[in-house]
This record gives sequence, structure tokens and C-alpha cells, in this order.
Amino acid sequence: MALLELDGVTAGYTAVDALNGISLRVEDGEIVTLLGANGAGKTTTLRTISGLMKPRSGSIRFMGQEIAGASANAIVRLGLSHVPEGRRIFPGLTVRENILLGSSNRGRVPRAELDRDLEAAFGIFPDILKFADSPGWTLSGGQQQMVAVARGLMARPKLLMLDEPSLGLAPIIVQQVFRTIADIRARGTTVLLVEQNAHMALSIADRGYVLETGRLIVEGPPATLLDNEEVRAAYLGGRVTAE
Amino acid sequence: MSMIPQLLFTGLGIGSIYALVALGFVLIYRATNVVNFAQGDFSMIGAFIMVVLAIDLGVPYWIAVIVAVVTMAAFGILFNYGVYYPLRHRTFLPVVISTIGASILLQNGVLAAYGPHPQSLPPMLPFPGFTVGGVFLDSQYLLILVVTFALVALQYLFFERTMLGKKLQATSQDKEMASLLGIPVALMIGITFAYSAVLGGVAGILVAPLLFVSINMGSTIALKAFAASIIGGFGDVTGAIVGGLALGVVETFGAAYISVPYKDGFAFLVLFLFLMVRPQGVFGEKVAEKA
Repeated sequence: MALLELDGVTAGYTAVDALNGISLRVEDGEIVTLLGANGAGKTTTLRTISGLMKPRSGSIRFMGQEIAGASANAIVRLGLSHVPEGRRIFPGLTVRENILLGSSNRGRVPRAELDRDLEAAFGIFPDILKFADSPGWTLSGGQQQMVAVARGLMARPKLLMLDEPSLGLAPIIVQQVFRTIADIRARGTTVLLVEQNAHMALSIADRGYVLETGRLIVEGPPATLLDNEEVRAAYLGGRVTAE
Repeated sequence: MSMIPQLLFTGLGIGSIYALVALGFVLIYRATNVVNFAQGDFSMIGAFIMVVLAIDLGVPYWIAVIVAVVTMAAFGILFNYGVYYPLRHRTFLPVVISTIGASILLQNGVLAAYGPHPQSLPPMLPFPGFTVGGVFLDSQYLLILVVTFALVALQYLFFERTMLGKKLQATSQDKEMASLLGIPVALMIGITFAYSAVLGGVAGILVAPLLFVSINMGSTIALKAFAASIIGGFGDVTGAIVGGLALGVVETFGAAYISVPYKDGFAFLVLFLFLMVRPQGVFGEKVAEKA
């Protein structure tokens, strides 16, 4: 049984469907990446999975349980954490408070356990420890991204969905973020990664899907996607050969 | 020589009432992005609940106060589900109209039940007050100052030191993100309405012995409180408190030194000056879209 399974999911903001029958699966322990151009429907797919949008039709199963149409609150309580695009740090709360609130889906958690998890989060992102008591808005984009991922991990998710974690970050920070994602999977958390930076995403992913205007056009391991002419032309550009 | 401290004392007392109501405005505004035009009516309802309990039913005064405060919290939740919740996915305009409708309904409901004659409540403490250094400290004003200070301190501790307080803040800053983290947004907004209704109710209960209890007592207070929250910087908690206190003081000094009939006008003169010179208020930031 796949950890997450979408079957014929359609969804949209207007009368026109932004997602046109998406079927995909994420197995336990995988890093799966969802690639595609701007407006292909990557973010909409994640928003539909996490309950921010209701699918118009199709089924979404998480650990065998149907979650299509459930509230965002109910879905995150099952252990499916969504770190949305743009990081969405609470600007008026401190870094520590932002990260602690990530545990809201777990109900009452003993303070000692929260402190251990918080320590573990700062262990993964040592760079943000010195900002623990600074308000969220004072951090740089890269630091905010780390806080956002740390906050997502505080949910102790079985599946962590990351939307464009590299967006707007300096190349050196991007490498650091991707190393951390690989590290998170090594610790046992399954990852569904939406990215524009296809090369970086495929460098750590087990499998990938390519979305084009609301449809999945190709699926496979990184080597297959990197070899696919259509994918190279559309999303990878000429840099494949240059590297 | 004791005139200035005397006026300052009175001004801060009445300013505390404005501050409590202004806080209610701000907390609901931060949680829902909508100005609650029935905020003043929370004070009126609180005062009328006291009239019913303490005068009509003869419940001992302090028990009546406790029952009234608890009733106000329940009223706030009811208000949330009746006035805000069904429209929560709409733009601000239907919600604003809904709160105006609620205000009209509440005032006319009480009018139908009690008639147009103002009611009165006795002072809450059994002694008139003290004289310290030539300044008479009226017991009701003292009580207002003490209760306001205690409420503001408690509120600060609650928002800054508890997880629930942090969840309420998170909800007011980004509702969608809060829901993604598993924070029950609707419950958080319900709690905000309950607390804002308590703040308004407490203001009404405290000020009732100084004014008559009438169906439009809330409108006058709310108008001043609204002005106070703009002067302080709309949406800012500290601004609401400082704005409320400042307005009370300005009004009291204006009445004493310039003109009593124009007492209500001073508040709006200050508001007008602020809107001209510093529209973002004392603590507000300039309105700008963040990237």
C-alpha cells in the first residue's frame, strides 16, 4: 500500500479545472518530486492534498484512508505536513514560537517532549539557533525557509510536502536545503517535493513526475526523466549536456 | 494646584473604559480583518445584564458581576456563530453589514424589553473614595483603573506566555498557515469573540454607575473607543490602550479648561488631527504591502 495515492483528482479555482485527473503515488520512505513549469498545477496539487482546496472529483488516500474533502486540520493530524510556498512564517512570533506551533497537530504534548523536538529541529538547522528569540520577519529568505521546514518537522509527519523550498535562495543555500531534505528522508520521513529547480530535485529524488497544464505527462526515476527529450526541452533546458 | 492631578485621575478612569472597548475592536479586527460595529453594544448588554441581575432579580452585587461576565463570554460565542461565522468566507463588507445589523437588533431588542427610560446602577464599592494630597480619588474610578490594569496585565501574560495565546496570535497573522499546522482556526476566532465580549461587557459594567444605563450608551463609548484605536494605530494592542487613556485625558482637560458642552467634540478633534498628520496612529506602521 502506498503512503499517499491520488487517483483521477480534479480541482480548480474557477470553472476551468487546474488539475485534470492527477494520479500519483508516494511510497513509504521515498523522495518523490513533482516538476513542471509555472502554472502547471504543482502548488494546486499540494493544496488539494493538504485540504486547503477541495477536489472536484477523484480520490486521495493517505495510509489507506480517504482524505479527499477533509479539512486541513484533520489531514495534518494524520501526519501529513505541508510546508507551503513562500515559507509563511508568522512574522510577529519568534523563531522558537513559530517552530513550536508546528506541533499543534499533535494535541497535548508534554513540555519535555516539545523541548526535545525543538532541540532536534535546531540540530538539523544549527544556523537558525542564534535567531531563536528573534521575530520571524527579521530573518532572511534562507533562514525563513529553514524555520518553515523545521516547523513542518515539528508535526512529526509521516509525509512532508515541500513547495518550492529553493525559491529565491542563493545557490549555496539551495544546496544546503537539498542536503537537509535528503537528511530528513534518511531519518525516516517520506518527502513529496515540488520544485522548479529540476536538476537539484532530481539529484536527491527516487522518482519524479512531470506536470503540464494540469496533467501528468511523464513519470519515472531521475535517469528516465533526464533522458526524456520532451522533459529536457520543456523543463531542463540545455544545461543537461553542459553539466 | 490639585486641579491637574484631579483631572488626570478622572481622565485616566474614563480613558480606561475607552481602552477596554478599543481592545475589543482591535482583537476582533486582528482575528477577522473586520471592524465589529456592535462592539459598543457589548458594553450596553453587559450593563443591562447587571440591571436584570442586581436590580430586577436582587442577586448580590458581586455574584451578579461574575454571572454577567460569564454570560458575556457565552454571548460573544453566540455572536460569533450568529453574525460572523456564516459569512467568514466572504469579503469584509457583508460581515461589516452583519455587525451593523446585529447592533441595531441588540439596541432595539433591549428597547422592546426595557423601554426607552435609562436605568441606573449604584456604585460598586461601599465607600465614596479617598482624598490624597487634595485629590479626591472616587472609588468607582479607582475600581475602573485597577480592573483595567489587571485585565491588561492578564491579557499580556496570556498572549505572551501561553501556547493558546501564541495560537491566537498565529491565527490573526495567517489563518491558512495556522490551519495547515493543525490550529483550529474557527475555535480561535470563537475565543477571540468571547474575550472581546467580556472586555466590552466589563467596560459597560464598570462605567454603568457613572452614566445611565441606556440602549445607546454603547454607541457613544464605541465611537470614542474607535477614535482611540485609530489614534493609537489601528490593529495595535498597545496603541488601543494608550489611545484610549490619552483620549480620556484630553476629553477631561478639554471639558475643564475649554468647554463642557464640547466635551465629546475634543475626542474627534484629536482624531481629525491624527488623520491629517499621522494617519497610521502612534504605534501603527505605514500601510504597505509586504513582498
